[in-house]
Amino acid sequence: MILRTRGVSLAYGSESVLRDVSVGVDRGEVLAVIGPSGVGKTTLLGLLSLAVAPDRGTVELDGTDAWAAGESERLALRRRVGMVFQEASLFDASVARNVSYGLRVRRSWPERVRDGLRSLVGSPDAEAVDSAVREALDVVGLGDSLDRHAGSLSGGEARRVSFARALAYDPDVFLLDEPTSDLDPRNTAVVEDAVRRASQRGIGVVVASHDMHQAERVADRVAVMLDDGIAEVGPTERVFADPDDERTRKFVSGELVY
Amino acid sequence: MSKHRATRRRFVAALGAATAGGLAGCSAVTGASGGGDRPGVVGETLTLTTTTSTYDTGLLAELNAHFEERYGVTVEAVAQGTGAALETARNGDADVVMVHARSLEDEFTRQGYGVNRRDLMFNDFVVVGPASDPAGIDGMASATEAFAAIAEAGAPFVSRGDDSGTHTKELAVWDGAGVDPGGGWYQETGQGMGEVLNIADEQGAYALSDRGTFLSQRSEIDLTVRVQGPIEGGPDLLANPYGIIAVNPAVHGNVNYDLAMAYIGYVTSPDGQERIANYESDGEQLFFPRALSEDPNFRQYVPAGWSANGTR
Amino acid sequence: MSPGPVAALGALLLQFPFDPVYLRSIVRVSLYVSCVAVALSTAVSVPFALLVAFTDFPGKRLLTSVVNTGMGFPSVVVGLVVLFAVSNQGPLGPLDLVFTTEAMIVSQFVLAAPPITAISLAAVSAVDDGVRDAARALGGTRLDVALVTVTEARYGIATAVLAGFGRAISEVGSVLIVGGNIVGSDGVSRTRTLTTAIQLEARQGRYETALLLGAVLVCLVLLVNAAVVRFGGGRVRR
Ligand SMILES: Nc1ncnc2c1ncn2[C@@H]1O[C@H](COP(=O)(O)OP(=O)(O)O)[C@@H](O)[C@H]1O
Ligand SMILES: [Mg+2]
Repeated sequence: MILRTRGVSLAYGSESVLRDVSVGVDRGEVLAVIGPSGVGKTTLLGLLSLAVAPDRGTVELDGTDAWAAGESERLALRRRVGMVFQEASLFDASVARNVSYGLRVRRSWPERVRDGLRSLVGSPDAEAVDSAVREALDVVGLGDSLDRHAGSLSGGEARRVSFARALAYDPDVFLLDEPTSDLDPRNTAVVEDAVRRASQRGIGVVVASHDMHQAERVADRVAVMLDDGIAEVGPTERVFADPDDERTRKFVSGELVY
Repeated sequence: MSKHRATRRRFVAALGAATAGGLAGCSAVTGASGGGDRPGVVGETLTLTTTTSTYDTGLLAELNAHFEERYGVTVEAVAQGTGAALETARNGDADVVMVHARSLEDEFTRQGYGVNRRDLMFNDFVVVGPASDPAGIDGMASATEAFAAIAEAGAPFVSRGDDSGTHTKELAVWDGAGVDPGGGWYQETGQGMGEVLNIADEQGAYALSDRGTFLSQRSEIDLTVRVQGPIEGGPDLLANPYGIIAVNPAVHGNVNYDLAMAYIGYVTSPDGQERIANYESDGEQLFFPRALSEDPNFRQYVPAGWSANGTR
Repeated sequence: MSPGPVAALGALLLQFPFDPVYLRSIVRVSLYVSCVAVALSTAVSVPFALLVAFTDFPGKRLLTSVVNTGMGFPSVVVGLVVLFAVSNQGPLGPLDLVFTTEAMIVSQFVLAAPPITAISLAAVSAVDDGVRDAARALGGTRLDVALVTVTEARYGIATAVLAGFGRAISEVGSVLIVGGNIVGSDGVSRTRTLTTAIQLEARQGRYETALLLGAVLVCLVLLVNAAVVRFGGGRVRR
């Protein structure tokens, strides 16, 4: 397992959202976390992205306990994880600058200052754009949109750019929160295809979704979240066809309405 | 010494050819008095606080330019009005003050803030008013009677109301007239002399003005002199004497006392006094020298605890 | 004033009543003092606004209302307080700052900082939390997140800087008190700004020349605004 939680718990005030959750993803694998709205999928991704510390338990990347590590080591670990939020939240800048952001913050300060000065003098010419940025945008089918401004993108395009933004710095793990909610079928197909291509490159992908059909389409394994924990984890086909857990069975068959 | 000379040479060079004539006259004076002896103040800065009237008439610019040239120093003149000029000096933020309110100057010296006050020059105040002369004061020989008539008639009067030397004089005249000014006809502006004259002009009001400011502005306004000052044969009450005072280095150790005294020496010297006498605006003499006297006055104010050595 | 004020001003422009050396020097002092003061205010205010917007600490609301009150500080009062501080008798007396451009910078800093802080605070607070989270999730450090926030709020911060600059350069009360409105006898301004020059002209009743200097001041403010919008505000949205 490249990224995993071991017995993590998290509460917002007195309200327990996650209790003793252990879940992980392998390299090159797609794990879908499904469950009804408000169950704690986004919260779990927050823990996996190392942005939030658990109240109890550990989060490990490549065997290293992130919250036992020091500040700078945790930053290095955090930088191996790509997180795509439910909202695109693009920067007020060009598509190219959005997608290159992750690469830029990883550079040394002298380089960044030089880069900043150069962009002040003239518009950054196409050759200066990193090949990783082009590649990431090609993956989401926006290779020709480098110079467009983020504000001019449609909702679907913006979501795809936010996807490319996390892909560009080639993370070891990729976390996607409801990647296709509100998207039309075409944009959905592009994103799901990109998820598959990411996993083929050896990236471990976690997709949080309330859409079981999406899980069936993209995931190798699913984790079903109900109440404040994982009810069942297993290979996608098996969990949908023959769930061990009674509540899981009710949830996947649509009997359990939350 | 050689460093001082270099500084001075650079300074002189910066002045350019336009002042070459004045410079020649200046070195002649220096040569005659001291055989190339340079004052030990070259490169220093003198801060002078003064009143708006000496500043705005341009007299100070004229006097200071020659002083700077002769001594190789810089004069920073701050025009504030008599009250503020003395207050700045009280705080030790000025080296020398040039003001025109004898009562305030005496207080300043008595309190120990000022030393070596010298009479410098004088001009006079005039009572100006509109052509219609509603109070009928034209040509009166007494300022107090004229003020009493203005109050009696309730004719509009515009006052500086700013604690300046002119305002101090105005209050003294009201006092002499036995009038406590106030009411709808009396307007305190808190403004400078030029603004007060403009306001009085617009409102057809009377005002007390120093002659210099009135002269420099008379072409633009319809006010005329109703009561003359002593220069034109009017009452002595309207005399406007200017004094110059060094800030006491025993109270404020930071002040540049040597340069202040050099400046006082310069403006009260025959040369300085001649420049004051020759200074004209619009062809009129604005200030009359007063420092040179045929009967010398040997009294001098020296504050307790001050000694000539050890303060600088 | 019979020919009407506009015609009078036009005539005045033709016979230009100021020595260009003099005028240039007061423009230079005005710009120098205001620009340095605004640069210092911005350097302090923007990080301060970030701190107030994104951290919680006791007294935060009190601090915010102090800043808002500061926008209304009468400049004369600021001038008097700064004068008290830099005067020979005051705590900064040994530095000998009375009647210097440095003292003027101090007072304009005090005047410009509150509007710059308050407007920057509103601007950075309005930045979407999602954008800040994204910057962090993409590998940004705390400093990177702060820089992204400032970049996102750049139009608002440019407005803040312009408001501070407008307050500084058009302010007369404090620079007159702490600067002394000094011009050397070579006709070059030491501490005279456009505003104190206007005040000087008005004091002598020369309203037309005062107005002319006012026009120069307005042009200057317009130029600076245009420059900030062009270079500081970033590229126009497409
Ligand atoms: N910042 C927060 N403060 C308090 N409660 C929160 C916060 N974020 C989420 N919650 C609560 O935690 C629960 C889980 O939320 P979330 O992880 O967003 O669920 P999901 O993504 O599965 O819809 C919800 O009840 C939500 O109201
Ligand atoms: Mg969610």
